[in-house]
Amino acid sequence: MYSKSVRTALLLILSSAFLLSFACKGGGGGSAERKLTIYTPHGQDMLKDFVARYRSVHPEVNVQFLDMGSQEVLARLRAERNRPQADLWWGASHLTFQTAADENLLSAYRPTWADKIPAASRDAQDRWYGTYQTPEVIVYNTQLVRPEDAPRDWDDVLDARWRDKILIRNPNPSDSMRAIFGAMIWRYYKDTNSAAGGYDWLRRLDANVHEYTVDGALLMQKLARGEGAISLWNMPDVWVYKEQKGLTQLAYAFPSSGTLVITDGIAVVRGAPNEEEARRFYEFVTSVESLTYAAQKYYRLPIRTDIDRNQLPAWMNEPFKQMDMNWDLLRREGGEWLRYWDAEIRGRQRN
Amino acid sequence: MKTISKHSRAFILHPSSLILALVVGVVLLYGVIYPSLRLLLASLERGGAWTLLNYVEVLRERAILEATFYSVWLSVLTVLFCALVGVPLAFLFERYEFPARRIFSVMASLPLVLPPLVGTVAFIFLCGESGILARAVQHLLNLKSAPWSLRGWGALLLFHTYTMYPFFYVLTGAGLRRIDAGLGEAARSLGARPARVLFRVVLPQLTPSLLAAALLTFMTSMASFSAPLFFGGGVRVLTLEIFNARQRSDAPLALTETVVLAVISLGALIFFQRYEGTRRFVAAAMKGAPRRRQPIRSGAARVIAALCGAIFTIMLALPVITLLLVSFARQGSWTTEALPSAYTFENYSRILTEEDALSVLFNSLKMSALAAIFALLWSLCVASLVSRRKLRGRRIISLLVLVPWALPGTVVAVSIAESYGQPNPLTGSFILVGTFWILPVIYFLRFMPLVVRAVQASLEQMDPSLEEAAASLGARGWRRFLRVRLPLIWPGALAGTLLAFVIALGEYVASVLVYVPANRPVSIAIAAEMRDFNLGTAAAYGMLLIVLIALSMTVAARLERASKV
Repeated sequence: MYSKSVRTALLLILSSAFLLSFACKGGGGGSAERKLTIYTPHGQDMLKDFVARYRSVHPEVNVQFLDMGSQEVLARLRAERNRPQADLWWGASHLTFQTAADENLLSAYRPTWADKIPAASRDAQDRWYGTYQTPEVIVYNTQLVRPEDAPRDWDDVLDARWRDKILIRNPNPSDSMRAIFGAMIWRYYKDTNSAAGGYDWLRRLDANVHEYTVDGALLMQKLARGEGAISLWNMPDVWVYKEQKGLTQLAYAFPSSGTLVITDGIAVVRGAPNEEEARRFYEFVTSVESLTYAAQKYYRLPIRTDIDRNQLPAWMNEPFKQMDMNWDLLRREGGEWLRYWDAEIRGRQRN
Repeated sequence: MKTISKHSRAFILHPSSLILALVVGVVLLYGVIYPSLRLLLASLERGGAWTLLNYVEVLRERAILEATFYSVWLSVLTVLFCALVGVPLAFLFERYEFPARRIFSVMASLPLVLPPLVGTVAFIFLCGESGILARAVQHLLNLKSAPWSLRGWGALLLFHTYTMYPFFYVLTGAGLRRIDAGLGEAARSLGARPARVLFRVVLPQLTPSLLAAALLTFMTSMASFSAPLFFGGGVRVLTLEIFNARQRSDAPLALTETVVLAVISLGALIFFQRYEGTRRFVAAAMKGAPRRRQPIRSGAARVIAALCGAIFTIMLALPVITLLLVSFARQGSWTTEALPSAYTFENYSRILTEEDALSVLFNSLKMSALAAIFALLWSLCVASLVSRRKLRGRRIISLLVLVPWALPGTVVAVSIAESYGQPNPLTGSFILVGTFWILPVIYFLRFMPLVVRAVQASLEQMDPSLEEAAASLGARGWRRFLRVRLPLIWPGALAGTLLAFVIALGEYVASVLVYVPANRPVSIAIAAEMRDFNLGTAAAYGMLLIVLIALSMTVAARLERASKV
């Protein structure tokens, strides 16, 4: 019968709705096991690996992570300010951490190894500590550019022969690109006290840019596939894609005048529901063993000074020249610089 | 006569309609009005003071004016292109009979249920500058560089047309089915030429359907985010400007741009709402009652028609085929080659064995089912209320229900997160942020307009005398609802619910802002795998999602057929 089957279906739907909402309650929480929630941009491969390693020591802890860009982490912490969901924030540039600290989103924690890193690599009030160093480098595709022809310094990428050959990752969500753009502006700002010279540099870069890519993965993929010949990006990522993702044609060069080095950090979230667990994981991933492992497997340069350098990959011990940078200025002015770049420079140099 | 008039009066004062009005009022107030107002007020605030400064700034910035202009222009062009593809297609499949017509006509609405994120990914693999097609052409013609780049206006319009022409196709098809064939015949017998019949008889009758399709296409295109993000090149559109402003932590700017976008979308909605045809969309979309089709008799024409259908279907299926191919590609085996060089089941076995990986599929199913079921129940409430002709404010209720559909997904997510993120006496300190329920609620709000429209359309087509007859025979309210009304609107309601369910399954733009570990949906897993360059795994997730969608559509089709027996 017509209406009978409809009624059966409706009954079915209602009861399934009831069961579903019941199932959701069961899955949502309330279990007795210890929990830890991490917000992090470090990518699934590395996270799953570290969580598995952690669980082998602490099997009773249910570790959950949300992987997203570092700016997204910041936006989430802001939105959740009154009801924090995360316990630990693992990974972002020290600028982003400092911004969060200033907005009172982080809680102070002094790790056991606090005196084993340089003062510049940590917050004076213990709200964040540096974990890895991330050098920003010039990347190129060896199938298109011979190593001897590759750009040697920042200004070389402005050369007309790279017109329409440069790929740049959209800087708005990216700590790495913000820092590079900021560093280019600082090079002029420090003498002229104005961003104009830096804007000019970015204009000339824009004239050579083939595409601003959505994220780092697409940047590496497009570069490897020859959609562009060179790019500016962070060194650990280049290693990962080269060694683990099959993009063997990638290579990088340190800018000769000095490379920009970002400090990657870690912090406990203010009001973390599981602060104890957060601290335990904090100590775990910043232990000498974990840092050495991250260096060997994920090409992360450790900041801690008490690490046996012989355990690290050989290239990590080769010295490179650091570029000087006014991080405080970047933190204050970076937003406005980026807004100007986005509105007035991006894509306006074509033709 | 007396009993009926008594009944209708009782109907208005009946406590059940009061409850109905209360439910509808509360959901609209807390789900639509309050979050939208909060957003609007926030855009009028700076440093704790009321001001129009944000708008002044926005209107002074040339980049934002450009973005606004290009958003509208892109949407207008999208509407045009979609009409150019969808309308002739509907005529071909609706008016003529040729081999394999049925399969082709079903396939033609395929892009409607392809999740935007999955579609975007597949498009990059297929037509990207270094994608399969570009590489093949390059090898074939022995070119030195890629023959095209998937960026800018061309790419945007291609993708928009691919994903949105089904609005035109489906609605025109439904419109054609409703057209009185006798009118055309009468015109022809009076000596009108075919072209004249088309322009003077057929198209005027199709106008409501065409306008409805134009509105849906326009609003979807205004809210489109994935496409401009991945293929936009340098094109500035509002959704992207909002995204970038948010990423720069420039909240006032992002909010203000959001309001500008919402006002344009709502303006279009109000403009088009005068042509009520929109409502018939979903009901018509899934009904598919075929009328007389003209068989193509000439052998050559049959072959050509079938060939056109086949080529078109292959073009439509190519992105899905690409996804299938990549989902079997061995990790790292597809870098510079035209096609992946090594194949494996690893991607699937990885998903199916990892506990985490399966749970995202389960999460998506659970949340979409919840949202769809509540949308169905809610739409029955709304439709019953709005169908009462005497009720004041029916138009306003209808409009409010559609507001979430007119807003981009990001905006809905942000406004809900803002409204239910902290204790606030106005909302009874009800907190959604950080809980499992935030996503089902957002899915519900975003997609319930589809169900409401479907149910409303079915109710309008229902003959009211049936219920009156039942009432005069002494059937009470509930009995009348269950035995008369529900069976009649069931197919339309089911179709709308299914569409909402299927679209919610692949939702990404809102989910990414507010998901928590307990409700991590499959779209987030796909994006995360893409970010880590695990293309094969991402594609495998995409395929599983498509299989889920296909399965649920099959089940729904069974259910509908069963209820008709």
